Amino acid sequence: MTRDKEEKRRQALCINDHVDILLEILKRLDGRSLCTAACVCRLWRALATADSVWEHLCLRRIASPGSSVRPVVSALGGHRRLYMLCVRHLLTRLGRDPGSSSAWDELQLSLSLFCVDYYERLGGRFGDTAATSSLMFLCKPVNV
Amino acid sequence: MGPSSTSHAGTGKLIPPFPPQTQLDGLLAGAGYKVRSSDLHLVAQRLESLESAMVSSPSHVVSHLASDTVHYNPADLVSWVDSLLSELTHSHHHPSNPSSSSSSSSTSPPSRPLPVDLDDLFSVPSDAINWVQSEMPLSQQPPPPPPPPQQLTVVTTMEEDSGIRLVHALMTCAELVQRGDLHLAGALVDEMTALLTSINTECGIGKVAGYFIDALSRRIVGAGSVPAPPHETEILYHHFYETSPYLKFAHFTANQAILEAFEGYDCVHVIDFSLMHGLQWPALIQALALRPGGPPLLRLTGIGPPSPDGRDTLREIGLGLAEVARSVNVRFAFRGVAASRLEDVKPWMLQVNPNEALAVNSIMQLHKLLGPDPTPIESVLSWIRGLNPKIVTLVEQEVNHNQTGFLDRFTEALYYYSTVFDSLEAACQIQPDKALAEMYLQMEICNIVCYEGAARVERHEPLAKWRDRFNRAGFRPLHLGSNAFKQASMLLMLFSTEGYSVEENEGCLRLGWHSRPLIAASAWQASPGPLPLPLPMGADDYWNDD
Repeated sequence: MTRDKEEKRRQALCINDHVDILLEILKRLDGRSLCTAACVCRLWRALATADSVWEHLCLRRIASPGSSVRPVVSALGGHRRLYMLCVRHLLTRLGRDPGSSSAWDELQLSLSLFCVDYYERLGGRFGDTAATSSLMFLCKPVNV
Repeated sequence: MGPSSTSHAGTGKLIPPFPPQTQLDGLLAGAGYKVRSSDLHLVAQRLESLESAMVSSPSHVVSHLASDTVHYNPADLVSWVDSLLSELTHSHHHPSNPSSSSSSSSTSPPSRPLPVDLDDLFSVPSDAINWVQSEMPLSQQPPPPPPPPQQLTVVTTMEEDSGIRLVHALMTCAELVQRGDLHLAGALVDEMTALLTSINTECGIGKVAGYFIDALSRRIVGAGSVPAPPHETEILYHHFYETSPYLKFAHFTANQAILEAFEGYDCVHVIDFSLMHGLQWPALIQALALRPGGPPLLRLTGIGPPSPDGRDTLREIGLGLAEVARSVNVRFAFRGVAASRLEDVKPWMLQVNPNEALAVNSIMQLHKLLGPDPTPIESVLSWIRGLNPKIVTLVEQEVNHNQTGFLDRFTEALYYYSTVFDSLEAACQIQPDKALAEMYLQMEICNIVCYEGAARVERHEPLAKWRDRFNRAGFRPLHLGSNAFKQASMLLMLFSTEGYSVEENEGCLRLGWHSRPLIAASAWQASPGPLPLPLPMGADDYWNDD
């Protein structure tokens, strides 16, 4: 009896054994779910915090982003940071009126804001409080 | 009258009278309003007469009604409309006592025109509030066009009476100052300071009035504000950049225009008339890095005040920007030009190469050149034209603060900065950053009110005047495209979904708050043909042969 059960358990699918499938699933998640996934176990954390997954998330709505975007984003801090700092706020706030701006326009704006943030982090000459505060208007709740 | 149900003697049961709910109109009840079905036609009539009364009333009365906390329970629609009507007709006859007829049944916390605590006060369901707001547009916006000089577009608190008196007092004081009657003006300042204690100075008219009273008193006493050292100004500027959309709007719009003008060129040169912390340029560097066909060689020449105590701040900023450019693989070269005034800059200092595409960028700088005769603006514009730039980006405040008459200037400034402070409230509530941003604006207010002559540098002029100047100097307009417009709209939506607006006007973009324009961005290119000779224009006729 127990040997049957053991046999069955061995044949059951363990997702952690199929990293490529796991990656495909993670690529389709939204930001919040991805962050939650990163809390599950070490493997999931490693996969869910990899920049390539977040790159998928950032560029999901873009038809053909071109090859030049990735190196720029990586140099400025990575796609995960880009998403957390800029893209997700744009998605929520500009999402109310989807027809008004294209996903590429939104990405451009995100990249510009992201670059200003990178520049400020480089600085540190403006005192401690001013570091990365140029994007704080994105973090506060919107006064509707 | 006994219950009619006693006629059903046969059953011996008393059928209770109709419960009160069934007498109410069902549709309105769903929206949270209690109106008896039999009263509906009365309500309709009263709403009509309320509308005509509101239209014909002086708008400060109406805005008092609409902007304050609700005095009466709006759920009881009949008596609410009645009370509004009676208050309007009463106030119409006694315009000096707008608040005398208001019931003091609710003491509100001094609040903004859109009290989000309306729910707490009256537990009206939120869709009912939306209904009210859509029917009474005045509760959302200040009285629209165009306010006669004695009224202000910002009216917020229960102490609206004091607010209006304060504005009148400010105008009177300014007039006294213009006439030279400083003694009386000083006495009035004391009175106004006392009046300030009775209104809320945390927001709205109280706060703005406080700054103007301060500036007036400095002018009367003769002690202008000590100009802040450039380092401090830069810190305030930085906070102003962070907490409000104006500078971001300026930077992003100018960058978009420059990006489009640089299309196809491999060597590009940007001259920034006021580098500050260089916050405008990382975004341009990144956009150039991503442009199809690869980035050009970018040269940036930044003009700024000489730094105290031996530091070379310009060079430090340049190093930071170079680091950004290096990270995204854009060939970059920086050059700093230290000059305490823009008119001291000479074109040879900028080392412009004739083979490169040149962009000249001026964010709220050129108005400083509109000083008293001989005004340097014409000569500066002519040497800019002489450099043959591909594009000149100009962003300026959209208001006239350069009138010769003090009272006119003061009045314009009062309205303009009231609107600006109003919009600042919506953009940022985080202290102390907002306070620092306000200090930046306060510096401008002080300069406009306290100074005359060469010391007064905040000489804002509206876009129409700049158009004339640029046309005379040999430029023609370059239309800001739809990309700039889209980007600006998105940016403003990020700050606040209500209130900010971008409008396009003859190829220029204007950022406004509730349709009052605040900042205008435009772009210019050199007109083809020989450089125009200066026309004899009286005081402007000054040709610098350098």
